[in-house]
Amino acid sequence: MENVIEISNLTKMYGKARGVQNVSFSVEKGDMFGFLGPNGAGKSTTIRCMLGFINYQSGSIKVLGQDVKSGTQNILKEVGYMPSEAMFYQSAKVKEIIKMAANVRGMDCSKEAEMLCERLQLDVDRKISDLSLGNRKKVSIVCAMQHKPRLFIFDEPTSGLDPLMQSEFFELIKEYVNAGATCMLSTHVLSEVKKYCNNVAIMKEGNLQCVNKVSELTKTSSKRIKMVRDGVYEDFLFEGDLNDIYKELQGRDITDILIEEPSLDEVFMKYYE
Amino acid sequence: MFELYKHEVKMYIKTLIIWVLCAGGMGMVCILLFSSVKDSMSGMAESFASMGAFSDAFGMTQLSIATLQGFYATEVGMVHSLGGAMFAAIISCVMLSKEEDAHTSEFLFSLPVSRNKVITSKLGAVITHIVIYNLVCVIVYVMGIVILGEEMPIKEYCIFHIMQLVMHIEIGVICFGISAFMKRNRMGIGLGIVLFLYAYDLMARVIPDLSDFKVISPFSYANAADIFSTGEVDMTALMIGIIVMVVSAITAYRVYSKRDLAT
Repeated sequence: MENVIEISNLTKMYGKARGVQNVSFSVEKGDMFGFLGPNGAGKSTTIRCMLGFINYQSGSIKVLGQDVKSGTQNILKEVGYMPSEAMFYQSAKVKEIIKMAANVRGMDCSKEAEMLCERLQLDVDRKISDLSLGNRKKVSIVCAMQHKPRLFIFDEPTSGLDPLMQSEFFELIKEYVNAGATCMLSTHVLSEVKKYCNNVAIMKEGNLQCVNKVSELTKTSSKRIKMVRDGVYEDFLFEGDLNDIYKELQGRDITDILIEEPSLDEVFMKYYE
Repeated sequence: MFELYKHEVKMYIKTLIIWVLCAGGMGMVCILLFSSVKDSMSGMAESFASMGAFSDAFGMTQLSIATLQGFYATEVGMVHSLGGAMFAAIISCVMLSKEEDAHTSEFLFSLPVSRNKVITSKLGAVITHIVIYNLVCVIVYVMGIVILGEEMPIKEYCIFHIMQLVMHIEIGVICFGISAFMKRNRMGIGLGIVLFLYAYDLMARVIPDLSDFKVISPFSYANAADIFSTGEVDMTALMIGIIVMVVSAITAYRVYSKRDLAT
């Protein structure tokens, strides 16, 4: 399968402060890829390197087959990016911003923009300065989607959106992905990754913790064990050889026991901690 | 690129109108007042010309304030000159930094336009506004002069206003270059530069030790009294101004196209 994003040993330092270190992962075409990590993990830094907003010290990034350092403009033509901060020119109207984004691309996106505004219930005649965070997010979504890009990069897209709009947003993404686009979703909301993503990369303190299929992540050697031992209820995450716990339990008064796969949240939290 | 240029021009239309109304309006009022103050000025002209350093600084030893040329040079010229320089500084010293200051840089730079094209669009918008400011003000002044029915030497008048335009553009480009280093809007720096260069020009006209270095300030080659009295431009100062302009523009391109954008 063709890779749409290929990041190899990416290192970005802000002076002496940590940015990201030796980050490597790739995203396949047509994938819905989750990019997970707590605040300050280096997700936005990685994305900003991918889009050429910031320089990086070492490593290489290829997006849609092109090196970021030499082909930024070509990459941006094919990318729909939604930043975590949906900020626009305060004095402009929504329709002016949407039209400007399309015109700069030299495209007439009016039909797609109209459809998106309708589905997101966005009033295009309002001024940006009058919009709430949620409505600014909607403008950002329209600007990222109206030109039907091959690759979507969303950085914390759902913060500020109400649950209905979040659902509509993910419906839209699914439709574009079904039509052949690829989506990279950077978030710290576990449920979004669990629900919508096929693969996930987990970042922590500037380092990549793991890249895996979401479905594979729960298939670890860890087990959630709930039992009543010697009259006391115990609930813990066990890591290691299951024979060890069998040995430990021998000769004890076990009245109830449940051994199950850990939840995805628990797996994620393990990387977070 | 034209889309961004259009957007930038549009964003500062209100500021432009305010400054044109203020400077053009004040200039017009000054010109129209001339006929009523002309007689009293003729009595005061000699006193103004013999006020030593003050007269030197404001060019009143070179021109009589009782003539329209002298009155225009000292009154209208100063308003237009300082007003235009401040307007140029205000719009240009935030032109690049405003994107990061207002957190709009990620939106702007996610569009497929190179940073050099963004810089060109913004610089083009700054120059357009400065040209419009000068053009509209000159039209207003000329209307005032026509209404007044007084004579004005066309050659000197044209040279003066062309030099004013160049000076305003120079200040605009200097501030634009400074803006490339900034991550936050610092309008005060631009205004400070204008006031410093203006004060430096005045001091250089008064303090003999500084007179050789007068050319450093762009106000030196655009001085109304010098141009109206000699009909010539200080070419050394103008050349220095053009070099400063080119260096500032190159600096803006080099710095802004390479640096990390703040969020």
